[in-house]
Amino acid sequence: MLLLQLLINGLVTGCALGVIAISFSLAYSTTRIFHVAHAGVYTLAGYVAFALAGLGVPDMVALLAAMAVCALVGALIQSELYARLARRRATHLGVLIASLGVLAVIQNLLSGVFTPNIRPFASAWRGRTLSFGGVTLTQVQLVTLVVCAAVYPAALLFTRRTVLGKQIRAVASNPFLAEITRLEPQKTYIIVMAIASAMVAIPGVLVALDFGVQPYDGTTVLLTATIAVIAGGVGSLTGAFLMAVLISVLQNLSLLVISGEWSVGVTFLIFLIFMLFRPRGLFTRR
Amino acid sequence: MSSPMHHAEHTRAVLAPPTISTRRTVLTLLAATIGAGALTVPRRASAADPIRLGAILPLTGPDASVGIQQQRGLRFGVSRLNAAGGIAGRPLEILYEDDEGRPDQAIISFNKLVSLEGVPLIFSAFSGPTLAMAPLATRKKIVLVNGGAQADRLAKASPYLFNTIPVAADEIAVLAKYLISNGKKTAGILYENDAGGSAGRNDFRAAFEQVGGTIIGQEPVTFGQTDYRPMLLKFASSKPDVLFVMLSDGLGPLADQIYQMKPSFLIVGTSFFNDPALLHSPGSNGWLHTQVKIKAPTAIAASFKSMFNVDMEFWGSQYSNATYIMAQAIARVIAQKEPITGENIRQAIFDIKTFNVMLPAVFATNTAAMEIDIARIQDAQQHVVQAIKLG
Repeated sequence: MLLLQLLINGLVTGCALGVIAISFSLAYSTTRIFHVAHAGVYTLAGYVAFALAGLGVPDMVALLAAMAVCALVGALIQSELYARLARRRATHLGVLIASLGVLAVIQNLLSGVFTPNIRPFASAWRGRTLSFGGVTLTQVQLVTLVVCAAVYPAALLFTRRTVLGKQIRAVASNPFLAEITRLEPQKTYIIVMAIASAMVAIPGVLVALDFGVQPYDGTTVLLTATIAVIAGGVGSLTGAFLMAVLISVLQNLSLLVISGEWSVGVTFLIFLIFMLFRPRGLFTRR
Repeated sequence: MSSPMHHAEHTRAVLAPPTISTRRTVLTLLAATIGAGALTVPRRASAADPIRLGAILPLTGPDASVGIQQQRGLRFGVSRLNAAGGIAGRPLEILYEDDEGRPDQAIISFNKLVSLEGVPLIFSAFSGPTLAMAPLATRKKIVLVNGGAQADRLAKASPYLFNTIPVAADEIAVLAKYLISNGKKTAGILYENDAGGSAGRNDFRAAFEQVGGTIIGQEPVTFGQTDYRPMLLKFASSKPDVLFVMLSDGLGPLADQIYQMKPSFLIVGTSFFNDPALLHSPGSNGWLHTQVKIKAPTAIAASFKSMFNVDMEFWGSQYSNATYIMAQAIARVIAQKEPITGENIRQAIFDIKTFNVMLPAVFATNTAAMEIDIARIQDAQQHVVQAIKLG
């Protein structure tokens, strides 16, 4: 029973991490910007929902509002920062440092306004539990599992079946060709960044509902998601999502045989060995 | 030591402007000044000069949730002391530096406060940064005051490091005896994977095993971590009588998850359980913990609340208390007409030894001895179930 409970817990956190990974993958594979500030947008989403919930707004409405705010912030970061840096021919390192700067500004602003303390949502439903087949989940965990698992196929459908999705893939594949075929890569980058930011707001709010908000929690989460993106194969949404789920499940299940002291190290050692054999990731075609 | 008259005369000589403007005279005076530099001492402070101390706290970064509470404690202590006329008529001032909880940044801040600002005493926080600064404090004879960290190594890290809160081992020894005497024979340990948390883990293991208990598992977490479910599940399957928790942050989410999971074991810990987020979670009902005496008198707690609009938390009371202790030591130095140096403050602390301030403390060593109680949390209130009196 412990095995099953750990497996389900791993799936819940893995699905949330998976959405972070596919949103980062979408932004990175299209813009080629290592968008570290994505961690700040993730954290911001939780705080927007937290503030709105404090004003009496229902949690799910607060989630939608947080997605809208984050989409706007993501679009602004692209149009007002990354696009300007690109016009001034900034190096990749320069853009990375600018992104780190945005992350620090967001974290410090949130810390200044809301205090650096971990602050839980007041919603009563977040603590309620459901038991089935010997497994117990909170309602928030269940919503996280269902919603985040649904985001993955929705993202796949969007990128493969919609006109906008195909445009994004075209720009990601060859921005120069896209430019001459009037696909307007710069405009596409803004749209992609808005979509990725709205997408990351979903786990941003749901995880915050479960554990509370804290201003500095996004960095480690994004680092793990980035590893999933690389191990899954850069540009592959399926790879990013599945690897994120696998990392979380492995970290949870490893507790059965080793102390938590070693679980992170052992999990990433497995990935290190894996990367030696598949350095371009699991889902990248040769 | 030079006489005060000598200091005054010497200072005047050094500060007197040259009256002859030839290059040679200026150079001669300059050389004389530099040559006399080794003997130069700061000018005597006037009654209106503030007494400047330093504080190196994590004011940004993940540890800031604790650092800001500690800063509130210092600010409150300073404001009350100054409202009462300061120390021997001189206002107290604290210069704050942010070390983000990082030992390397703490050392930079230490050097800045000592070399540029000339402070004789620095308040510090967290075991890692404090231990990093301890050798510098010894070398430069600067009093370092830790009001919150509890790693055992702090007790003997420097003759200039004073811990105004007992180290973890003192509290844990009391807890281990209480648990065994109440039939709790097996324990798991959930600890923060840093200097303070690891020290707490080692202390509990040693103390609990010494009185006949058995440790059946231990799991670390990182500072600021909020998802404890996998570890709690693992502990629930091994069914210990108690789970000893050594976390300085994230206790609110832990209580929430305990409430959702309802495991069979009892949660026990130390003074770190004096966290408002923890107390107000229904999951904390029944938790047991040791606590150094932290309850400020009602009027002081009310004054704190009116100043900051928050309750006087654990760190707030500890750091206010540390301010009162150090103010009393500095007052003694001034009364003895000695300069306010780290060396003299250190001596004054040992000379006074028993500080009957807001939370009484005795300094037979560099670490304060305080009353340690066993308390049970029930409905957001703490009820003392056993008191171990000071001394």
